[in-house]
Amino acid sequence: MPRPEQKMVTFTLDGREVSAIENSMLVDGAKCVDVEIPVFCYDAKLGQPVGACRMCLVEVEGINKLQTACSTPIREGMVVNTESDRVKESQRAVVEFLLINHPLDCPVCDKGGECPLQDITFGWGGGTSRFIEPKRHFQKPLALSPLIAIDRERCILCYRCVRFSQEVSEDYQLILSERGAHSFVSTFDGHPYVAPFSANIVELCPVGALTSQAYRFRARPWDVEGSGSICTLCPAQCNVTLTVRDERVLRVLGRDHDEVDDGWLCDKGRFAYQAMHVGERITEPLLRDGGELRPVSWERALQSAISGLTKAAGRTGAVVGGETTNEEAFLLQRLMREGLDSPDLDSRPGGALALDLHRALADPALSATVVDIEFAHAVLVLDCEPVDDAPILDLRIRKGVRRKGVKLAVASSRPSSLDANATLSLRFAPGAGEALVAALDAALSGTGDVDGLAASAGADVDQVRELAALLSEAGEDVVVLWGERLAHGPRGDHAVRGLLNVASRLKLASADGAGLLEIPSGANGRGLRESGLLSNAGPGLGEPGREGRDTPAIGAALAAGDLTAVYLMHCDPVRDFQDRGLWNRALSKATTVVAHAGYLTEGLIEHATVIFPAEAYAEKEGTFTHPDGRIQRLRPAISHARGVRPEWQVLATICKAAGLEMTFHTVPMVFRALVDAVPFYADLTLDEIGGRGMRWQQTAAAANLPTASDRAPYQLTAPPAALTPNGSLRLGTYRSIWAGSEVAVSPALKFLIPHQQVELSPDDAKRIGVGHGDRVEVTYDGAAVNAQVTLRAAVPTGTVFLAEATDSQPANLLTNGEPRLVEVRPA
Amino acid sequence: MELLYKNIDEPGLNTIAVYESHGGYQSLRKALAMDRADLIQELESSELRGRGGAGFSMGKKASFLPKDKMDKYLVCNADESEPGTFKDRELMQKNPHQLIEGLIIGAHAASANCAFIYIRGEYDYVADILDAAVAEARAAGYLGDNILGTDQSLSLVVHRGAGAYICGEETALLDSLEGKRGNPRLKPPFPANQGLYQGPTLINNVETLSNLSHIVRMGAKAWSELGVKNSSGTKVVSISGNVQRPGNYEIELGIKSRDLIYGLAGGPPDGREVKFWFPGGSSAPILTAEHLDLPYDFDSMAGAGSMLGSGAIIVIDDSVPVVDVALKLATFYRNESCGKCTPCREGTNWTVHMLERIDSGEATPMDLDIMASVQEHITDHCLCVLGDSMAMPISSMIKYFRPEFESHIEAARHRNDLGAPPSPHPVEAVGSAAAGPYTSVA
Amino acid sequence: MTEVRRFTHGSRIPGWDDAVDFSKDPAVVPDAATTPVPEHLRAEIEEYMARYPDFRSASIPALRAAQREHGWCSPLAIEQTACVMGLTPGYLTAVGTFYDMIETQPSGRQAIYVCTNISCSLRGGDAIYSAMLEAAADDSDLNVRHFECLGACDIAPMASVNGEYVGPLEPSDCATIIADVKAGREVLPDKQLRRRPSAHTIAKQES
Ligand SMILES: Cc1cc2nc3c(=O)[nH]c(=O)nc-3n(C[C@H](O)[C@H](O)[C@H](O)COP(=O)(O)O)c2cc1C
Ligand code: SF4
Ligand code: FES
Repeated sequence: MPRPEQKMVTFTLDGREVSAIENSMLVDGAKCVDVEIPVFCYDAKLGQPVGACRMCLVEVEGINKLQTACSTPIREGMVVNTESDRVKESQRAVVEFLLINHPLDCPVCDKGGECPLQDITFGWGGGTSRFIEPKRHFQKPLALSPLIAIDRERCILCYRCVRFSQEVSEDYQLILSERGAHSFVSTFDGHPYVAPFSANIVELCPVGALTSQAYRFRARPWDVEGSGSICTLCPAQCNVTLTVRDERVLRVLGRDHDEVDDGWLCDKGRFAYQAMHVGERITEPLLRDGGELRPVSWERALQSAISGLTKAAGRTGAVVGGETTNEEAFLLQRLMREGLDSPDLDSRPGGALALDLHRALADPALSATVVDIEFAHAVLVLDCEPVDDAPILDLRIRKGVRRKGVKLAVASSRPSSLDANATLSLRFAPGAGEALVAALDAALSGTGDVDGLAASAGADVDQVRELAALLSEAGEDVVVLWGERLAHGPRGDHAVRGLLNVASRLKLASADGAGLLEIPSGANGRGLRESGLLSNAGPGLGEPGREGRDTPAIGAALAAGDLTAVYLMHCDPVRDFQDRGLWNRALSKATTVVAHAGYLTEGLIEHATVIFPAEAYAEKEGTFTHPDGRIQRLRPAISHARGVRPEWQVLATICKAAGLEMTFHTVPMVFRALVDAVPFYADLTLDEIGGRGMRWQQTAAAANLPTASDRAPYQLTAPPAALTPNGSLRLGTYRSIWAGSEVAVSPALKFLIPHQQVELSPDDAKRIGVGHGDRVEVTYDGAAVNAQVTLRAAVPTGTVFLAEATDSQPANLLTNGEPRLVEVRPA
Repeated sequence: MELLYKNIDEPGLNTIAVYESHGGYQSLRKALAMDRADLIQELESSELRGRGGAGFSMGKKASFLPKDKMDKYLVCNADESEPGTFKDRELMQKNPHQLIEGLIIGAHAASANCAFIYIRGEYDYVADILDAAVAEARAAGYLGDNILGTDQSLSLVVHRGAGAYICGEETALLDSLEGKRGNPRLKPPFPANQGLYQGPTLINNVETLSNLSHIVRMGAKAWSELGVKNSSGTKVVSISGNVQRPGNYEIELGIKSRDLIYGLAGGPPDGREVKFWFPGGSSAPILTAEHLDLPYDFDSMAGAGSMLGSGAIIVIDDSVPVVDVALKLATFYRNESCGKCTPCREGTNWTVHMLERIDSGEATPMDLDIMASVQEHITDHCLCVLGDSMAMPISSMIKYFRPEFESHIEAARHRNDLGAPPSPHPVEAVGSAAAGPYTSVA
Repeated sequence: MTEVRRFTHGSRIPGWDDAVDFSKDPAVVPDAATTPVPEHLRAEIEEYMARYPDFRSASIPALRAAQREHGWCSPLAIEQTACVMGLTPGYLTAVGTFYDMIETQPSGRQAIYVCTNISCSLRGGDAIYSAMLEAAADDSDLNVRHFECLGACDIAPMASVNGEYVGPLEPSDCATIIADVKAGREVLPDKQLRRRPSAHTIAKQES
C-alpha cells in the first residue's frame, strides 16, 4: 500500500484559521496550534479511536450534538469551538464522573506528578464534586504479573491497556471482564499477563492503575531526570528515555520514534536496565591467576592483555558480538589489522559472506526501512522469528496486517507467532533456507525444478508456488524480512545469491517501498560490518588488504593451534555459537583470551585470561547502525560504575601499546575517523544524527557504496537436500527473546529465564511413546540434551526444536551449525 | 385494519404451506421483478418508519447503502430487550415467514447477499421456530443462490445472542454479531457505510421488515394511507403494566392513546387510575394522565416531549410510588450499561446510589437537583443513547412528580429518625444494591 | 439528638479483589496437542464457525455449546472452546462475562429466570422471584436468577424455565415449576406462552 498522500486543509478553531492535514483527527490538528483538547482513551498509537471516555467533546458547527475530537476527522472549512460554555460544562461533567469512584490517593500514587488524570482534572475539571456516596474500595495493589501491579480503584476504564493487548501486541491476554460499572481489567481465570510487550500498558495507563513492580515507589517525578538514548539489547534499537535518579537508572520509557519503534518497547528492553545495577555485573578487570579469575588493577589487566596479544600478534583472532559500537568496532579492526597485523576478525557468528554479496545487499535501492513493512503490499518473513530476534518489528508487522491490509507470508522452520496473521505460512527443514530460496526463485522465474528444490528444502511444493504467486501478485511493494540465520554456514553465499535472485525477480530494487531488510544476529550487526569488522572487508565494505579467517575458521585455527590468542568483544562463543564443542576446544587451547564482558558466562569463566568490564549501555557513548541503515546515537545517561572504564579507551590504550598512533580524546573524534574511513557515511555528522538518527542511504554519500561486480540473477548451484527423518528427527533451534545475561540477572526478569524444552509434534511423541511434560533425552553422536517435552500441534512431524542459550542443557551441546538428525528417547 | 396480525393465531401459520396459502411469498416475486431503485423508491414513498425505536425512514436508510459492488449485509434486529416490548417475539413465533419474506425483499433493496437475524438468546424457542422456517424457505428456493431465477442471492443465518440489553443498539449488535463484547461503536461511520465486517449494512427491526411484504403487495400509496401523516401504517403495540388485558394489539397509528390503554387493554384495575405511562418502552420519557387524549403516533408523542420508541406502552397506576419506578428503571440501565463510555457507566451508577438514598431516608431535596443535573450531563454526552434512555425518563419523572419525590424524601427521613422500618415497596428494586451482584459490606 | 450516620464502606464487585496466580502460565491460545476437546463439541463449534464470514462470530454460539456440555463456562470449557476456535481463553472470557446467559461462575444446569423488570414487577414479579428462590431452596442444580425484561410482559409476572416461557404466575406456581424441573417434566403446560392466543385475537373475538 503506497503511503497515503497528505493534503493540507484549512479549518477554524476557536476563531482562528488553522491549517492541518486533511482527515487527521481534531485533537491532533489542534495540537499544531497549541490548543490542547483533553483526552483519556485516545492515543494515536492504538489505532482507530474508540470515543469511550468522552473527555474530548467539542462543538462542531452544523452538528447538533457535541462531537468527540479524538474521532472527528478534519475537513476543509470546518468550524470548531473548544471553549464554549457547552464544551466546558461537558468537560467538567466528564471529570466529575471519572473522579466519583477514583480514590484520589495521589499522595501515595506512583503516577502523581506525571498523571494525565491529575493534569486534566486541574485544567478542565470543575474543582468540586457533588458525589457523596461511599466510593468503591478494593484491595490494592494486586499483581497482574510479576512485572505489573494493578490498582483497580484507580482505573478509569479508558481501555487503553486492553486495546494494546488486543489490537497492538495481539496477545489478547488482557481483557475487560463483566459489564458496565462492574467492568474491570483482568485476565483469563487468574493467569498472569505475561507476554513480550506486556509492560507497555504501564506507560499507556493515564492514571496510576497500572504500575511497574520494579519502579513502584522508587522515585517521584521531581526526583528524576530523563535521558534519551537507544536500547542495545537487540537489532531493533528502540529509542528510549532512561529515568535517572542519583546515577542509577530506575526506569526505561519509550521515546517514540515512528521510524524505529513506533512508540513501543519490549519487556526485555523495559526492565533489563536492572542488570546495570546488580552484584553480578563485572565492574573491575579480572585476570586468571592460578586457574581462577581474580579482580586486578587496570594496569595489571591491561598489561597482561597487551603482552598476551602482542606476543601472539599475527596469530590473534577477534570475534565480536552485537553490543559493540561502531567506534569500538572501528578501533578494534585497526588494532587487529594495523596493530597486530592479523586479518582474522569477524562479527558474523555463522561465517563469512562474499564481499560482493555484502555490497549487493547494502545497495540502497534494495534496502527496505522499518516503515516500509507497515505500508507494503506484502511482507515475507523469512527464516527469522521477529518476536525473538527484533521484537519491536513483530508489532510493526502486526500493525501492517491489521490496519493497512498488508499480506503476510511466513517461511520458517519453526512455527511462528505470526502464523495466525499470515495469509500463508510455509515450513521448511531447519537449515534448508538455501534450498527454499532456490525453490522460490525457480517458482518466480518459471524456470528450474521447483518440485525438486522444494523437496530439497523439505517444503511443500504447492506452498512454494502459492508463496511465489502471493509475492508476485500482491503489488510492487514487497518487503522481505530475513534473518542472518539464512546465510549461516559454508553455503551462506549460495543462500544469499538465491535471496538476491528472489529480490530481482520481484523487482524490489525498482519500487520505493520494497526491499530486503535483514535482522542481523547482533544488535549492531550492520554497523559492525560497515565499520570493518569482517574477515573479508575493511571499513565501508572496502577491500580488506588481506583476507582473514571468519568466525568458524578462527575457532578451528585456535583449536588447531594456528592462532594462539583471541579477543572476544561482547560475546561468549561457548554460549552463543552453534559449535560449543569446537569453541571449548579453541578457547582452552588459546594462550590468551581477552574479553570485554558485563557478566560472567560459562565460556568466560572457563577460559578467559583477561576480562575487561563492559560498559552498560546507559554509560556508553557511541553510534549504532540500525538494520535499515539508520545511524543512531547512544548517549550516556549515568556515569560509569566505579571501576568501569570506557571501552573505547581500553581499545585505544591497547592500540597505542601495539604501536598505533592514537590521537582520539573523545568518542566523537573516533566517530569522525570512522566516517572518514567509511565513504558512504561521509555525510553524517553527530549533530545531524541527533536524537532521531539518520539513514545513510538518504545522504548523497550513499553513492560512495562500492558496487558489487556481479549482480542478480545469479546462476545457482544445486543446494544440498534436507536430511530425511528416518526415525531420527531433524533438529531445529531457536533463541528466545529471554535468553541472555541481562534477563538472567535482572531481578524483575529472572522469572522469564528460558529453560530447555523439547518441542515435539504429537505424531512423533506418540511414536516415541512420550507425552507432554515427560522427560526425554535428545542425543547426537554421544552428546545429549535432557529436558521436558512440550507438545505442539504446529510442529511439523519429523522435526524437534531445542532452545539456544538456555540456563542449562542448551541446544549447542548438539549442534555445529550444520543440519543434523537427532535421536529422541524417553529419559 | 390488520396486516401483520392477520390470521395470527391460525394453527400452522408458522409453516410455509399455510403461509403460502394466504398468498405468502407472492410479494417477494413481485419485488424481485422490480428494479432495485424502484423498490427503494417504493419503500421510501410508503413512508415506513423504523419500528425498533428510532423511527427512521426505512426506505431512506436502504438508499444510503453505497451502490458499488461489494459484500453488503442485512441484519434484522430481533434483540427486543426494551422493557415492555414483546411484539417481535409474537410476530416471529407465529408468523416467521412474514419476516423472512420481508427480509428477502429488504435484502433485494439493499442488494445484500448475506443476512442475519440477531435474536436475543432468551428467545431460544422462537429461534427454533425461525430456524425451521428458514430451512423451509431455503428448500422452497426463497433463500440461497439466484432466488427464483433472479440475480439476487441471499444466505440467512439466525444468530442467537446471550443476554445483554445493549445488543439491541445497532452498532453494539454488530460487534456482538462479530463475536465480541456488545459495545456500541462510534458513529460515524454509520452501519450503512461500514457495518458488519466493515461492509455496508442495513439494520432493521423485525416489525419493520415484516411490513415489507404488505407494502409491496398493497403498493406504497395504499399502504401509506393507513395511519396518519408522518406515521403511516399499522403498528403492533405492546401494552403492559397496570392494565387489565396486557398484550400486543395491532392498530393504525394515530388512534387516541386512551382508546389503546382503556379500550384495548382495559385500563388499570378497578378503582385505580393511570398515574403515568411510558409511551415507547422504558426509555421514553413518561407521560401522565393528561396526555391520554393525544393521538398515538410519532409526532404527537414527540410533541409531548416523549417518543413512540418501540411502541411499547407501560402503564403505572396510582398505587405505585414514582420513586420505586425510578429506582427500578435506573437499576436496569445501570446493570445493562456496557460500561464503555464514562457518562453512562458512572452516571447510571450514581443515579442508582442517589435513588437508593432517597428511598432509605438519607437524602435531602438538594439531591433531586443533583440528580436532575446528572441526568443533564448524561444526556447527549454518551457514545450511544443508552445513557439518555435512563436520563430522559428519570428527568421526566422529576419534572412531573417533584413534590412526590420531596415528600418521599421527607417521609423516609422521618422514618429513619424514628428508627422505623422502611416503607413497603409495591415495586421492589430487585437487582439493585441489595440483591444484585453489588453487595454492600458494613 | 440523632446520631449522624456515616458510610463505613464502599460497594464491592466480585473479581475486583483478585490478583493473578503466578503458578499459572500465561493464557495463550491453547495448543491442540495438549487440549483434549470432546469430539461432538468440537464438531458443533466448527459447524458454527463455518456459518459466518468471520469465524469469530461463532463465539457466542460456541460458548453456549460449551456451557451445555459443561454446565457452565468453566475455565476448562473456555479453554476447549478457545482451542477449537484458535482464540485466547481471554478473548472468550471477555465475551462471556459480558452476557447474562453465559455463566462464568459455577452454576446449576437448570436455568430459571424470573423477570423482575418493571412490567412484571408491577404485577408481582418480585414476589414470584422470592417464592422461586424459596422453592428452589439450595439445590445446586437449579440456577434461579432474577432477570431483566424477558420480552413477555403480556404474561407478567413470568419466568423462563430452561427457555420455556410461563406466566402469569402465582407465587404458588413456583413449587410446581421446581417440581416439574426436577422431574424433567414439561413445565406448567397451561401457562406456556407458546400455547397462548394473542391478546389481539382475544380482543377481536370479544368485540
Ligand atoms: C439501548 C438501545 C437498545 C435498543 N434495542 C433495540 C431492540 O431491542 N430492538 C430493535 O429493533 N431496536 C433496538 N434499538 C434501536 C436500534 O438501534 C435501531 O435503531 C433499530 O434496530 C433500527 O431498526 P428500524 O429502523 O427498523 O427501527 C435500540 C437502541 C438503543 C439505543
Ligand atoms: S487500567 Fe489504566 S489503561 Fe487500563 S483501562 Fe484502567 S485507566 Fe485505562
Ligand atoms: S479521547 Fe475522545 S472520547 Fe476519549
